Amino acid sequence: MITLKLLLQVAFRNLFKSWVNLIIGGVIFFATFLVVTGGALLDSIDSSMSRSIIGSIAGHLQVYSDKSKEELALFGAMGGETDIAALDSFAPIKAALEKHPNVQTVVPMGTSGALITSGNTVDLTLARLRALYRKNTAEGETAERRGQIDSLKQHVRQLAELLQSELATRRELIREDQVDPADAAALERARSEAFWADFDKDPLGSLEFLENQLAPQVADGDLLYIRYVGTDLASFQKTFDRMQIVDGEAVPPGKRGMLLSKFFYEEFLKLKSARRMDLIKEARDMNKKTIALDPLLQRYVKETSTQTREIVFQLDPIKTKQATARLQDILKSQETDLSRLLSSFLTVNDENFDLRYKQFYEQLVPLLDLYRIKLGDKLTITAFSRTGYVQSVSVPIYGTYQFSGLEKSPLAGAVNLMDLVSFRELYGYLTEEAKAEIAQLKQKSGAAEVKREDAEEALFGEESSPTLVAEATPGLINDDEQVSANTAALRSEDMLKRVYSQKELEDGMVLSAAIILKDPEELNATLAELARTQELKDLKLRVVSWQQAVGIIGQFVLMMKMVLWGVIVILFVVVLAIINNAVMMATLQRVREVGTMRAIGAQRSFILSMILLETVVLGLAFGGLGAGAGSALISWLGNVGIPAGTEELYFFFSGPRLLPTLGANNLITAFALVVGVSLFSTLYPAFLATRVSPVTAMQTDE
Amino acid sequence: MSLSAEPIVSINEVTKDYHLGKVVVPALRGVTLQVHPGEFISIAGPSGSGKTTLLNLIGCVDTATSGVVRVAGKDTKQLSERKLTDLRLHTIGFIFQSFNLVSVLSVFQNVEFPLLLQKKLNASQRRERVMALLEQVGLANHAKHRPNELSGGQRQRVAVARALVTQPQIVLADEPTANLDSVTGQQIIDLMKAMNRERGTTFIFSTHDAKVMTHANAVVRLADGKVLDRVTPAEAGVALAAGGH
Repeated sequence: MITLKLLLQVAFRNLFKSWVNLIIGGVIFFATFLVVTGGALLDSIDSSMSRSIIGSIAGHLQVYSDKSKEELALFGAMGGETDIAALDSFAPIKAALEKHPNVQTVVPMGTSGALITSGNTVDLTLARLRALYRKNTAEGETAERRGQIDSLKQHVRQLAELLQSELATRRELIREDQVDPADAAALERARSEAFWADFDKDPLGSLEFLENQLAPQVADGDLLYIRYVGTDLASFQKTFDRMQIVDGEAVPPGKRGMLLSKFFYEEFLKLKSARRMDLIKEARDMNKKTIALDPLLQRYVKETSTQTREIVFQLDPIKTKQATARLQDILKSQETDLSRLLSSFLTVNDENFDLRYKQFYEQLVPLLDLYRIKLGDKLTITAFSRTGYVQSVSVPIYGTYQFSGLEKSPLAGAVNLMDLVSFRELYGYLTEEAKAEIAQLKQKSGAAEVKREDAEEALFGEESSPTLVAEATPGLINDDEQVSANTAALRSEDMLKRVYSQKELEDGMVLSAAIILKDPEELNATLAELARTQELKDLKLRVVSWQQAVGIIGQFVLMMKMVLWGVIVILFVVVLAIINNAVMMATLQRVREVGTMRAIGAQRSFILSMILLETVVLGLAFGGLGAGAGSALISWLGNVGIPAGTEELYFFFSGPRLLPTLGANNLITAFALVVGVSLFSTLYPAFLATRVSPVTAMQTDE
Repeated sequence: MSLSAEPIVSINEVTKDYHLGKVVVPALRGVTLQVHPGEFISIAGPSGSGKTTLLNLIGCVDTATSGVVRVAGKDTKQLSERKLTDLRLHTIGFIFQSFNLVSVLSVFQNVEFPLLLQKKLNASQRRERVMALLEQVGLANHAKHRPNELSGGQRQRVAVARALVTQPQIVLADEPTANLDSVTGQQIIDLMKAMNRERGTTFIFSTHDAKVMTHANAVVRLADGKVLDRVTPAEAGVALAAGGH
């Protein structure tokens, strides 16, 4: 005890005695500072990302079929969806899981993707026109409807004129023979007075001509890939606290319907000019960027001002006039060409942007369809079912939603939510009701019962793979029937009105189930316990943690952690070398002192503890300062927040700002690491010091 | 002077070789010497004669190549490194030519240091012992100073106090006055002499200063690693004076 006091005294007094100690101290300070801040930042990112991922889709644990060929990747994997085997029924899985005391909720899920077409302007206009003619046939013509029809017809004629002028421009740029003569002829006909004069003689025929010949020439239709998670929407919304409805409303319980991700809706379905204007505004307001300095914003401005066609095409003659007048007024211009007016209106700069943005939304947007699909519309989704045939389902869009924290992530934020029934249909799973209906239809049409084996034979040639039969879920997924598009269309109206019971939702097929735990701290223990449960083994279920379940995104955090730890390891190797050298020098400077102590009667162990304790004191003092500085920085950042400048950062920060917090474990880890490494690097010099002979004290070198 | 029968230091036919690369340098070539308790002995000789080597062997900081060195009745060759250190701590005090104080410790702490290593006394006993000694060497009011705030003579007085604080049987001093001017050197010798008188501590010191030698009971003269003779200071003084001319 007495010796310790003396050692401490020597150690403390030595702190500022030698410049070498200041170097060691500086290194320790810097290392601790880095480990504390780096660790705290990463932990904060990790915990905020974890919270948003767990709270948005993954839950704490996921279960899926053990028969799956690949691993579950809720947010998708490189190269699309992974191959997950279907689970016949959700109900027994839920029952089995809920037996565990730590399981709070189990939510059914299935992830898939499909292509949708949003249709181009001509298609959309023609579709409206067709609907009006249908109504005319059914209910008789009214003056009002006639007015609408005439306006739309005008619009189509105008579109043809616009196409013609575009064609003229194209002819100047490319050689004549590269324009398809059939296209040119069709366009010529669509612009002719004769065509329009005879239009009403055979309106449906005329419409068909336009749909087949004119519409394909307009290339603004999009083929979109849409990812969706089929789930029990009511249960999902209750369970996942990160989910927020942005526009529209929730899908009523038991009904078919979809909620589109706000990100997806804005990014892919909004008028592109409007989307770009939004992005410019956000970059300027949130991230303090300027058009003058930011190349990306300059690109947006250029695209918006040159690609005015999507706006011009949408406007019928009346609206075109209105838009022209408004823009002439805003720009104080005599220009009559709408394209040119739009182009100069949308050539924005830092000075006029805010005003133009306001004018854009106040004056132009009311004349336009801002989104290709409106809330309340029905979206037709066409997907390849598991067994390879095309399945098409029409689902009403109730609203948009977002997962707070992931709203800007193209990967995690672009997941759309769909009711389980529609999901199962797209997947190729038939409800009892649908099966009954098909049986009925079959009977009516007199179709022969086709055996499964024969159907495969017919579909896939003489040597069909038997595994395909074994792996499909017999009796549930009807993989030898193709429902004709007509039948589906006939059913769809009824189906949309139907309310499905909770039992119907739970008794059907799912791909996976999310588990929310009562005590998330027990995640690993619960995971292990569940994996051991005989019941889950019987159900052939695989239990994974959310990190494993989310695929690529789970790896991001892990990768970042590995990078940080890599940096820390390198840092500490450097620290080790520096401290080792410095303590070596310090020891050499003190050979006489050590020798004197040895001569006077200090044992080797005393010298060893003296040198080591000095390093510990240095470590504690400068490590403490470093940790203090780190904590101060983190707590300051915790107040002001670190702005997420880029979309990648927005995702990592799970929001517009990261408010890092410092955990006791960060401090303890940093401290233990730094003191440990310093001690370790002092071991050798300290050992050398114990070898200093007391004879050194007697030597005279002055 | 009364000498007891048992010598406190007994050196018999001791040799010590140093190895400089492949060359063997003999520092002592068969030295025999007896020192009795209470003696005040000076070891004299030109540099390279083996004074420091002899002191190292007596001080148990080094071991002989051959021969027997007995300190306080113990054959140093038979002792482990640990035991040798203990022997130094409890039996021997050291005074060095260049003082060798621990620069980061105060005067008081430097003197207290060996007591802390001994772990025999409690804080107040230590304080009493240290202050009494500092009083004796005339530095009681410098107790809180750091060594670098003191003059050379003051530092050596601190060293003397440190050497004596454990009340050792032997104090070894290697050229204790070499780094001091003659007046200060004289004061240090007087101090050592007084301690020798009052406490009966055996002092063995090396010097090449004839004036310093005059205070010794006996002068052991070394040359080329051998004991030339053991004489009285007067004889040594004559001899040195003769040699000087």
